[in-house]
Amino acid sequence: MLGLLWTNIDYAASVGLFCIGLYCVITKNNLIKKFIGLNIMESAIFAFVVALGVVDGGDAPIMGAGARPPFTNPIPQALILTGIVVAVSTTALALSLIIRIYRQCGTIEADELREME
Amino acid sequence: MKRALTAALLVLLALPLLYAVAQLPPHGSASSPPYTHVSPRYLERGPVEAGAENVVTDVILNYRGFDTNGEVTVIFTALAAVLAVLLGVRKDAGPVAGEPRAMSPVSPVVSFVVRLLAPFVALFAIYVILNGHVSPGGGFQGGAIIGALVIVTTVIVGRSQAEALVPARARRLLQAAAPLTFVCIGIAGLLMFGDYLAFPRVADLAWLRTAWLIAIEMGIGVGGAAIIATIFWTMGDE
Repeated sequence: MLGLLWTNIDYAASVGLFCIGLYCVITKNNLIKKFIGLNIMESAIFAFVVALGVVDGGDAPIMGAGARPPFTNPIPQALILTGIVVAVSTTALALSLIIRIYRQCGTIEADELREME
Repeated sequence: MKRALTAALLVLLALPLLYAVAQLPPHGSASSPPYTHVSPRYLERGPVEAGAENVVTDVILNYRGFDTNGEVTVIFTALAAVLAVLLGVRKDAGPVAGEPRAMSPVSPVVSFVVRLLAPFVALFAIYVILNGHVSPGGGFQGGAIIGALVIVTTVIVGRSQAEALVPARARRLLQAAAPLTFVCIGIAGLLMFGDYLAFPRVADLAWLRTAWLIAIEMGIGVGGAAIIATIFWTMGDE
């Protein structure tokens, strides 16, 4: 089991990163810190999926003169390119909502906001 | 207490996940299922079928063009949502509005280095966008570089001068450049080859295929940069 985990240490690192992000989301009180936690979780998923596409000794999947196999898997890279853009979009929207909350309520601490209700 | 409970929960969550990743095929093996099903065909025939030597570009712009078309619409929608959230309120509505903002002067070293490097950064961004089909890069990456350049310029010279880089009349059009280019190319494919986003397949029209790929990359780059800059300006607009 541990030996298998050691061969897949890249995936295990993603699991660790995911847990760090989730810890931030649950325990932090500041909305921006919560959202940074969510971004860390997203990064963990991106790292995991890109790592799935790695091939030992693989080159970048760019053909043309001098290219020789093996190439890394292009599909995870293309999917994660999409994912990163969507993550940027959600980050922008969330930050603007946080700015709006701050303008309206004067705070972005979750517990103070809860007391205001 | 809350932290300890959270840590315990995360350990409980991490154990099955770690068990699962230990069961996956070994990292980097060429016989793992993701590498043996679709990607061999893309790698083998991508440059011939889809027109770009960079197979990642083939996948995002040609094989999965619909996906990317939706994606550029998503960033445009994000911009629209940010504008709707932030521009709808009057500036002096909130309890914190009207506070004087402390502006710290920019260090002359930073200012000089940014001014010195800005043309080279811009040149690199254009290279990344235009060379996306034969080398690592593409519209999103180059657009992000231009967006970062605009943000740094705004910090150094102030917003009013930085905004002069983007003509006010063209700004709305530039923000929508990515979806617009995609739809134009898609409709051109519909008219010429009978399918939305159909790229030319015959070898005689390979030049047209490359031209379309570059056009989409440029649209994504310009649109992405305009969107990043506008979001930054809107958020800084207190």
